[in-house]
Amino acid sequence: MLRLFARLLARWPVEKALTAACVLGLVTLGIMAAGVVLGTPLWVIGSMSAAQGTGVLAGLLFALSVAADAGARSTHRP
Amino acid sequence: MGALALGTAAVAAVLLLHHLVMRPRLTMGTRIRLLLGLAVFPFLSAVATTAHGMHRTTEAEFCGSCHVMTTHLTDLEDPESKSLASRHGRNPMFGGSACYTCHADYSMLGYPLTKLKGMSHVYNYYLGGYRSWSLEKFHEEVRIAKPFPNANCQQCHSGALASFRDVKEHRAMAEELKANRVSCASAGCHGVAHTFSKRPEEL
Repeated sequence: MLRLFARLLARWPVEKALTAACVLGLVTLGIMAAGVVLGTPLWVIGSMSAAQGTGVLAGLLFALSVAADAGARSTHRP
Repeated sequence: MGALALGTAAVAAVLLLHHLVMRPRLTMGTRIRLLLGLAVFPFLSAVATTAHGMHRTTEAEFCGSCHVMTTHLTDLEDPESKSLASRHGRNPMFGGSACYTCHADYSMLGYPLTKLKGMSHVYNYYLGGYRSWSLEKFHEEVRIAKPFPNANCQQCHSGALASFRDVKEHRAMAEELKANRVSCASAGCHGVAHTFSKRPEEL
């Protein structure tokens, strides 16, 4: 399991994942802001459910990217 | 809470937009900025948004934002209305959240269970067809899912005070009221809460 995770991290596209995390993060923030500003049922419920799902996904992409970057640095250390 | 949610979301958005536009190298500073923009500020914003959203869903205006509930809200806000709901809606202590105050179940889990029940209303409205119904059809066909529990009334009208116990009808019906066999909000007692949505034989 750990080997599989290490292999996944070795091939992890850090830059692309960070870009995706930023875009997902902006979508999340947009939905949450709409829930507060508009206050209609769908937006409020979306801000408390869907937005938190995309937010967690963005955070996971960021965490994996940091782990992959740290792994790459330790592998290439002279 | 709304201001906190929007403020933290704005700061996070600036940090994320900066990363997308400038494309900086992944240095320690970039990592810290991304940590703030993707984790710390969004987390704060999510907490504030949830608190704001939970409060928002207790407001009568929120309940009345679906068209099938507009007459309920209009009646609640009508100073001339004599309905039980309107008399409660005029109470300055909780009038703005009168729907939630009366319909929220009384128990330790009353708050989350009431919110979950509210999700079934959203489902019925957007996916169950209520959205395309006329007000007349809604009033004709839809009734409360289960009899209104007297325990909800007794969250405020506990029955412990002499002003409640001294009413002979309350004393005579004590067992029936406790067992929910007779509703406080029935025609023979304090009247139906939302009179305009009932057929004449139900009043």
